[in-house]
Order: sequence, then C-alpha cells, then structure tokens
Amino acid sequence: MAIQSLLVINKSGGLIYHRNFDNDSKNNSLNSNDYLILASTLHSVFAIASQLTPKAIQINQNNVNNPNNLDYKIPYIPYVGMSTGNGSDNYNSRNGGDGYSRNDSTNSTNSSNKNSKLNKLGSFKGDDYFKEPFVSWNKSGLRQLSTDQFTMFIYQTMTGLKFLAISSSVVPHSQGISDNTQVPSTIEKSSNLQVQIADNFLRKVYCIYSDYVMKDPFYSLEMPIKSELFDRKVKQMVDNLL
Amino acid sequence: MSGPPAALTEKQKLQQQFQLFQESLPKVNQLALTLLLNETIPLSMAVQKRLNESELSKMENDDELQINDIDLKDKLYITPKLDLPSHKLIQEISKCNEEDKLKVIERLRNIGFQIGNKMSELLVFTNNPNLEFKDMDLLLIMKFICRDVWKQLYGKQIDNLKTNHRGTFYLFDYDYKPIQPFSIEGDNSDEKTQEKELELVKPFLEIPVGIINGVLSSLGYNKEDVSCEATFVDRPDEKSKAAFPKGISFHVQILNQ
Amino acid sequence: MATSEKLSASQSRSLKITGEEIWKNKTEKINAELFTMTYGAIVSQLCTDFQRDYNKVNDQLFSMGYNIGVRLIEDFLARTALPRCEDMIRTSEVITKCAFKIFLNITPQVTNWSPSNDAFSLILLENPLSEFVELPMDATKQLWYSNILCGVLRGALEMVQLDCDVHFVSDILRNEPQTEIRIKLNKVLKDEIPIGED
Repeated sequence: MAIQSLLVINKSGGLIYHRNFDNDSKNNSLNSNDYLILASTLHSVFAIASQLTPKAIQINQNNVNNPNNLDYKIPYIPYVGMSTGNGSDNYNSRNGGDGYSRNDSTNSTNSSNKNSKLNKLGSFKGDDYFKEPFVSWNKSGLRQLSTDQFTMFIYQTMTGLKFLAISSSVVPHSQGISDNTQVPSTIEKSSNLQVQIADNFLRKVYCIYSDYVMKDPFYSLEMPIKSELFDRKVKQMVDNLL
Repeated sequence: MSGPPAALTEKQKLQQQFQLFQESLPKVNQLALTLLLNETIPLSMAVQKRLNESELSKMENDDELQINDIDLKDKLYITPKLDLPSHKLIQEISKCNEEDKLKVIERLRNIGFQIGNKMSELLVFTNNPNLEFKDMDLLLIMKFICRDVWKQLYGKQIDNLKTNHRGTFYLFDYDYKPIQPFSIEGDNSDEKTQEKELELVKPFLEIPVGIINGVLSSLGYNKEDVSCEATFVDRPDEKSKAAFPKGISFHVQILNQ
Repeated sequence: MATSEKLSASQSRSLKITGEEIWKNKTEKINAELFTMTYGAIVSQLCTDFQRDYNKVNDQLFSMGYNIGVRLIEDFLARTALPRCEDMIRTSEVITKCAFKIFLNITPQVTNWSPSNDAFSLILLENPLSEFVELPMDATKQLWYSNILCGVLRGALEMVQLDCDVHFVSDILRNEPQTEIRIKLNKVLKDEIPIGED
C-alpha cells in the first residue's frame, strides 16, 4: 500500500500535520492553505457521516446478544510499517491481495547495534509497537473513502485526534454496488484488509505521536507539529510499507 | 578460564549478588521519571509566578481575601487554580526579567543538588563491588560521576572527560538523554533561530548541573568551592542519526585546590 | 459489594493481564528509589519556596500533575488502545489495573462506591512516591505529599471527556490508617466527545 500523504487533524478540526510522500509533481498542486481547508472540510464531513449511520446498526450494536453484531475489533497485522531487519525469513504470512509486500532490503545495519534497535520505537520496547488486536474507537464516523484515484483512511482516537492516510491504491468495485449480495467476497475481503492494515498503520503513527507529545515539553497540544523526529519516523514507516 | 562452574571467585560472587540485588529492587516505568524531571522546569516558572503574585497581593493588602479562599477550598474541595500549560511556562522563562530568571534557575539547581546529594548515598548503599569509596580523590570522584551517577540517571556514561589535573574538568555528553526528543529548528534554519530555540532548552541543563554540585558536596567538596556551568557544543563527528543537534559540555571548576 | 463483582470476572481479568503484559514486556524500567528521591527533592524545594505554606504546595503539586496528565493520557491510549469505558466502574478498573500498573507498577484497590456509582476511592497499599518518607510535624496536618497523583488523574480524565474531582482523603504519611484518593465524576463532557463514537 503506497501512502501518498498523511494528515493529522486535532479535535477542533485544525490541521496540525501534513506530509506528502509521493514525489510526483502533480500532487504538489495543493498549497498549504488548501490543506487547511481540506482538513476542516473533512472534520465536518466526518461528523455528518456519523449522523448518517443507519440507526438500525447502532441499535443492533447495543444489543449484546445479537448475532449480527458488528465487530469493531481490528485484528493485529504484524509488522505493518516496520522494517524486518532481523532476518525473519520464517515470517511470511503477511499478504493481502492488494500488492502489499514486505521490505526485504533493509538488513544488518540496525540489527547489530542493540541500542539503536531499542531506540527505534522510542519508548515502546520490543520489535513492534503493539501486538494485540484492538477495538476501533471510531464506531459511526467515516473510516474509508474510496474513489477511483485514491483511497483515504481515517483513524480517530478517543481524545478526538484524527489520523488520515491517503493512499494511491484503489479498491476495485463491481457494478452492482447497490445490492450488497452481489459484491464478490474477495473484493470485500480485500477492502476490509486494506482498512485493517491502514488502522494498524495509523495506530502506530498515533504511538509515535504520543511519544512525541509526551516527551517534548515545547509541544503545545492542538498546535502544528514541527518535530523532525516525528517526520523521520513516519517517513521510515511509510517507506517500509512500500 | 575453564574449571568447575561451581568455583566462582569471590569477586564474581559479589558481582552476582549485586546483580540479583539490583534486579530485586522495586521498579517503576522510566517514562514516569522522565516526565517528572522534564516537568520541573515549567514547575519552577509556575512557582516563581505564584510567588510574584503573592508578593504583589501582599503589597495591595489582599490578605483577607486570601484567607477566605483557603476556607472555601477546605470545605468544598474545589479543584485548585491551575497554571498555564507546560509549553507556555517554558516560553515565559526566556521572556521574563533577569531577576526572575535567576531565581528560576537557582530553584532548578537546588532540586538537582538535592538529587545529587542523595545519589551518592544511594550508590554507596548498593554495595557495588566495582565502587571503592575510600581514598577517593577528586579525579576518582569525577570518574564516579561520569560513570556511575550518569549511568543510574540516564542509562549511559559521560562520553568524554577532560581535565588539567588542577581542579578544572570538562564533561562531555554528546547525547544528553533528556533533551533528545526535543524538537528545535535543525540545521536547516539560520543561526539566529537556532540560538533562540537553544535558549529555550538551556534551563533543562540546570538540573544536571545541580546534580554534579550535589554529588561533589556529599563527597566533601562544598558548594562554595565548586562552580559548574553547562553549554552547548557541537558533536565531534557527524552523528546525524541522533536527534538533538548539539551535545552538552559541563565545565566544573574546583576552587581552593 | 466489591468492584470486581460488579464487573464480570473475565473482563476484570483481561484488564489485569493487559496491564501486566505491558508492564513486563513493553516498558523500560528504572529503580523506584531514584524516582522517590527525585520526587522528594521536588516536594522539599516547594516547601522551601512557599515557606511551609502547605496549601500552596498542595496546589502546586496538583497543577504540575495536571500538566503531566493531559499528555500522559495520549501515551496510555496509544499503548493500550482500550475502548471507551461505559461507566465509572470500568473506568476505575482501567485506572487501577492498567494505568497505575504500567506507569508505577502498583495496583490500588477500589472501594467505597457511592450509591449512584459515580464516585469511588482508591486505596494505595504501596506508593513509590513516598517510600521511606517521613513528614515533619507541621506538614502532617496539611501537606498531601503525593498530591501530584490527583493532578495527573484529573488531567488525564479530562482529556477523555470526564470531568472529575480528584482529591486525597487520607495518607499514611500523616499517621492515618491508609492512603486513600477519592475520585468523583461531576459530569461527562458530552460536547467534547469526538464525533463518531456512540
């Protein structure tokens, strides 16, 4: 999954971070003002979308005994965005049908130096930020926006922060969208998988963000992020996703 | 050295005991300590502001009002008045007048001093077989600071120690841990903005300065005889991997040598 | 009725496991005495600064804790990704079994529930902030030594839209029988709940 841009929106709808990873010139047509407008528009659209969520689904959700309960649990997809620098050949099961593949080229340089490996994840010990499945906080808001040019994924935290990833990968859709039963199950699965990968990825960005927010006393909440550390780590993760 | 595994030398036994002892001590999350230490800087500014305010209100004879407030607080457990958020307080440090700034810095040094004082006690009582406190001369004390004290506090040792063997020491820490995550304008920007931002970071160096003073004091070198200052230095080699662009140099001078 | 009976046993256990697992495997640990010592230096400096006006010291500790709490919560949420608590019962479990465990390696007990289940007490059986601390005589009447904890809790809870009063009720350091913190929910800040959650 190729991430083109990453945006972080604070709880009042202001843009506090945006970065383009795609060096293709056609994407530089938006200037920073446009991004600010984009962020606040999205904030409002997100709110409107949650109002549009069918009441029936919400009612079902509260009834614990209902077998059709929507499961908000997001499975843990290992090593999304992590470089596999420690020769893990035995690890090979992470594929979806969407062309996402492992980054094999990084190897020895960081695995030899134990200190740098520990510091790679900031205050998160171990080789990955988290290893369990988790429940999404985003129950009725917008999670994915698919168009024929790009796909946008949104991850909202309990404190109101939104992490947005815009990806150039496109989810294929069949003609009979209106009738759900006609959507081939493989396409549905692949779309679900994409959302799950995106959620895993964005939660890790949240982990990096929390490290940054916690540890930098100069950072004011709700204000634009200007940390090189944050930039660098995020870029690393995005590169690893390619 | 091959031999039956049971026959450990006395020294190795002590080492093992020491390790086990260290591991059995109660622990807390490192984040808790980092946050606490970093928050002392805004705290120092907040205290200064409150002291200034109460000075002012004393002069304006607001005593009666103050007493009522305290009664109210006791009765209703209303949440106490909060200070500004941390980042604003830190910015105020660089903007306040000289007198206040000096007091803020002195407060930080005092806190560091107390920590340093207790550090040596703590390290004496750990029975570390590698530490010999008897017959410690000044150089050994400085080495103790560079190795053991720094390791306890920051997980790493001082990178370089220079001395003229006549009471002057330079301690270089190129990756001073607590400030690594701080984001300031990097090398991309011009000198002036970088300097301004480094000014903001300077108060954070006062605590280790206080700690050095404290350790020396607890080992016999009184506060009046010791002078310690911290400055930013460039790294000797291009360690671009590390986050913070500058290293720290602590200049320690023992008078009356 | 003990809290663990109010919450289903399995939910309670899984929170406990989450907290312990993160503490064991995902945190860098340091000796608690270093932490105790640092906090002691800070409190002692404050007492000197405010010339033993302990009410002011209490307030200052609270305010310091608040500033820490509003940022600590992001780390906690990123690390655990726990879903929003439906009620204060679950909140109390998360606070004691996960939050306190992960940051301070202690698990306070929860007792003294109010009839409407919106207030409860935390009993700290051990307190890394105050190990081996002895208060001077005048301080035992007025100082809440670990008041920073109240500030941290208040700040963190406020960021997840729970407006609470958090204060000390008793403290062993004051020669009282136990160390107890009371948390009372004033209201849920409904307007600030991010849209998209139910």
